[in-house]
Amino acid sequence: MSKPELWVIAERRLDHIEPTTQQLITKARDLAGDSFKTVVILLEAATDHLEDELKPYGPDEIRVVRDDRFPTATDAEHADALQQLVETYHPNGVLFGATITGRSIAPRLQAKLQTGLTADALGLRYDGETLIAVKPSYGDNIMCEITIPERRPQMVTVRPNTFVAEEAAGPAEITTTTVTFHPVARLQVTAATPVVNTATTVGDASRVVALGRGAASAAMVNHATQLAEKLGGRIGVSRPLTDQDRFTHDDQIGQSGNTIHPELIINFGISGAVQFLVGMQDAKTIVAVNSDPNAPIFDVADYGYVGDAQAFMTALLAQFN
Amino acid sequence: MKIVVCIKQVPETNNVKIDPVTHNLDRRGLAGVMNPFDKNAVELALNLKDTTGAEVALLTMGPDDYAESVREGMAMGADSGYLLSDRAFAGADTLATGYVIAQALKKIGDADLILFGRQAVDADTGQVGPIVAEFLNQPQITYAASLRMSGPNEVTAERLLEDTKQTLVAQLPAVVSVRSELNTPRYPTPRNIQLSFEKPLTVWHHDDLDLDDTRLGQSGSPTVVTKVYAPKPVKRELTPLTGTPSEAASQLIKALKERQLI
Repeated sequence: MSKPELWVIAERRLDHIEPTTQQLITKARDLAGDSFKTVVILLEAATDHLEDELKPYGPDEIRVVRDDRFPTATDAEHADALQQLVETYHPNGVLFGATITGRSIAPRLQAKLQTGLTADALGLRYDGETLIAVKPSYGDNIMCEITIPERRPQMVTVRPNTFVAEEAAGPAEITTTTVTFHPVARLQVTAATPVVNTATTVGDASRVVALGRGAASAAMVNHATQLAEKLGGRIGVSRPLTDQDRFTHDDQIGQSGNTIHPELIINFGISGAVQFLVGMQDAKTIVAVNSDPNAPIFDVADYGYVGDAQAFMTALLAQFN
Repeated sequence: MKIVVCIKQVPETNNVKIDPVTHNLDRRGLAGVMNPFDKNAVELALNLKDTTGAEVALLTMGPDDYAESVREGMAMGADSGYLLSDRAFAGADTLATGYVIAQALKKIGDADLILFGRQAVDADTGQVGPIVAEFLNQPQITYAASLRMSGPNEVTAERLLEDTKQTLVAQLPAVVSVRSELNTPRYPTPRNIQLSFEKPLTVWHHDDLDLDDTRLGQSGSPTVVTKVYAPKPVKRELTPLTGTPSEAASQLIKALKERQLI
């Protein structure tokens, strides 16, 4: 009896693999143990070799389907191809990154397969052959454990940067298979262009200067930008600052946004709502600066300064210079 | 042109608590409001109504008090509303919800554009839009950052992926979910609030729709919530930085150097 398969659906980002895919391979290997076979599903063009970016992470198998239409395929066309694969191989579990692409394709596939899909998971474990996904709700204030007891495959989208990708020795056997590409009428992707200036997102940054309600002034934002530059990092914000024009939900830490695990995060004027703390608690070193000695952020910090955020920021910048 | 905007009612705050005894969500005293992200979809529809004369209907599934959010959308300017309300629909996950919404859309008929907000702020899944698109076998544009009519029967939209901007052209009918950056939702005017009470709000129950009972509510939902809890951040041992800001800053720099972070 062959082992049940646990799939990771590889996602393309322009000419490369989206990093969440590699994170999911590492997590899938961990989940699979000796009980499951980890298989990466890769849909790519005939001349692509994106499997080269997957192999170092050591899944059991990389199953490649080639068609020149895949790089610009629509959500419905991707879901159709994946449905054919699922109905051929009957995986036990299917993991997608909870990227915009993953969150668009997965529910279409779910509807085709009439199975369950848990969104934006922050944790995964197996209990026997039942996959238990931890899903945040109410803006990360509440965690739910969700299972799909009766139907297969068990589908989950997993929030980017929740797990850390680690290269690993593994068979990484590359196989090819085919599906019938069914073009979907009435929708065309007419252009795809890289968006400039998002080379580093707060989720990718190894050093983060985080600003909250107590550090929202223009001067503070200016100083924080300088500090982030000196650290080689980026600014992140808690929810109140997303109301400012210069910040968007993409800059927000926690709250159905970015879960981050930088080497260093320095928090200014952030008291520490639960969803923020959960969103950044995997940082290796956490520094907190806040005028309120009872702010929850100090409970999870390695270093803390109780006092005026602006004064501390000014002193810190001066000493960096 | 006919536009249907699918909306959800959510608690007005996300500060929900867990009942320490039952371990269930304690939602007592929380008023319901229209999901804020759905207002961007309503605004897009009203904008198209202003420019093309489109007819705008709202559609929601939930208990009878969800009519409040439908009224709110009609006060913003939508022409009519549909509420799908039945005990048989209760406890539905995204798949079972998408099924009933899709069946209602079939009954409404002839929608050229079906709009959704990017996701609901309570459950945060964003799944119902694509599920409905699949059930109706329609093309979808998710997370649209802009949308315009580019022909009598065609829309052109931009979709922002993590670091890529896509331009998509869809021939209608199509399903579109919108990002909140797309627009700023209008407020209801006093006149529109008054008018909203004269606009038709149709309530459909189980028997009003063509439904397969095995696909409804909790029993038609593949996912099961097995546990609900409040996340607990992991505590660390705090080293205080003390003295003047300058003294404290130099302590931090020393510590960061020791940790090879600078």
